[in-house]
Amino acid sequence: MRHPSEGVLRRLVDEPAGVTDTDRVHVASCLICRHDLDAVRADAQLVGSALAPGTAGTDTDSGWARLSTATAATPARRRVTTGPRRGRWGAAVRRPAVAAISAVVLLTGAGVAAANDWLPIFKTESVDPIEVTSADLVQVPDLSAYGDLEVTQEPDPQPVADAATARHRSGLAVPVVSELPQGVTGDPAYQVAGVMSATFTFSADKAAQAAAAEGAILPPPPTGLDGSALRFQAGPGVAVLWSQPTGVPTLVLARVVAPTVYSSGVPFETVRDYLLSLPGLPDGLADQLRDLSADGATLPLPVPAELVTTSTADVRGSAATVLTSRNGLFAGVVWVEDGVMTGVAGTLSPDEVLAVARGLR
Amino acid sequence: MRSSERSEAGIRPDLEAVFRSDYARVVAVAARVLGSRDQAEDVAQEVFLSFGRSAVPAGEAGGWLTVAATHTALNLLRSGRRRGAREEAADDGPALVPDVADLVITRDERRAVRAGLARLPHRQAAALVLRHSGLSYAEVAAALDLSPGSVGTTVRRAESVLLKELNRHASPE
Repeated sequence: MRHPSEGVLRRLVDEPAGVTDTDRVHVASCLICRHDLDAVRADAQLVGSALAPGTAGTDTDSGWARLSTATAATPARRRVTTGPRRGRWGAAVRRPAVAAISAVVLLTGAGVAAANDWLPIFKTESVDPIEVTSADLVQVPDLSAYGDLEVTQEPDPQPVADAATARHRSGLAVPVVSELPQGVTGDPAYQVAGVMSATFTFSADKAAQAAAAEGAILPPPPTGLDGSALRFQAGPGVAVLWSQPTGVPTLVLARVVAPTVYSSGVPFETVRDYLLSLPGLPDGLADQLRDLSADGATLPLPVPAELVTTSTADVRGSAATVLTSRNGLFAGVVWVEDGVMTGVAGTLSPDEVLAVARGLR
Repeated sequence: MRSSERSEAGIRPDLEAVFRSDYARVVAVAARVLGSRDQAEDVAQEVFLSFGRSAVPAGEAGGWLTVAATHTALNLLRSGRRRGAREEAADDGPALVPDVADLVITRDERRAVRAGLARLPHRQAAALVLRHSGLSYAEVAAALDLSPGSVGTTVRRAESVLLKELNRHASPE
């Protein structure tokens, strides 16, 4: 008997009932046709997944708001949905961008939990802080407003007895100071921390709700963003701390495997660009963020601009960022080399921390 | 599609109900063609706008919207009006993360599939998209004025062409 056409086999994949009994019986008993049917089915699945339209989570409310503007079908709603005041936009849309930043702060802050005075200025290949005001930081919302943040691995910082143990536990070379600055005395304490990782899963629904709570509409996320996850990972790390008898740290050295962002759905850049694309983001900040991320190697990290000034310096061939508190009491320097972030900070002058940094062995 | 009759009258009263129940699905249909959520939402807007001014029976709204979204999206794909810098950036941006290898392949394949889709005869492409959007063979046949028996052949042919695109794309020059 004649083999059914590929068209029949194709329909058999989707709608067996639409195929004649004769053809079905034939295919069931014909090795060639069953083989062909498998191929047709596999092809259909492959094309189906290549065409699959990203993840779910279309924002119907903002879509309707847009349509009702176009049709003027519902004037009453229209006033609510299309006319958020500029100021409210500003407040609402600044938050997602800061949320992305705060995920990094959360990670890095915990990664070197030992150093309270440590400013979270870490990124993958170079160090280049973003200045934000404390007002921005105050507005950092709970990340749960934009998705699900799950800390999948805690760094679990622990004191260890000595440098050898710290090295053994962390796998990192423990920085050794060639000459301690004046006023820093005594034996240091050592801490090690394991790998920290956290996963942030973006949810368009949640983000839209967060925006709606502000009376604003979330712009449509890029294809595939909804449900995609960012995994932040950093560590292990090691810290060496000198303190005054009162417990106030005078010098902190920290070394940590620099934070990395992994993306499971869409590239990190896509997420960031989407957050940055939200209207109302302060122009200056948005531009800074964009500049920083041109090569995708830099995670934008905030510095409270009214507390700290930043400058750059060279530490043994690496570009380093120097942070100086405006009250002159604190300074720090941080740089990344071969994927390892090293920082020196203390109740010292910038020159002193730079001298320590350059003299590290 | 955006007609000049933008009067407030003439908008069907069930528009919001239909919109709310079908919007996500219509966006998905257009995204299947365009691979871009932004553009897909634009298409959906256009389609619902037309629907709002139409007299399509409510019971046929779902199928009508799917078919309209498919045609509109295919036309957009063909017109080369590739706008939406965000999506282009997303598609063409460097893969900066190590475990993104799977995604890169998928993205390349998606791009190849869309390029192939743009080159297919319109009806063949539409049959493919409608079938993958869940329309039955009979519905596809009715929508595209095909004989029911030829839908399978048309869809299969389209899939074969697209897979050739994929393989050509995936294999080294």
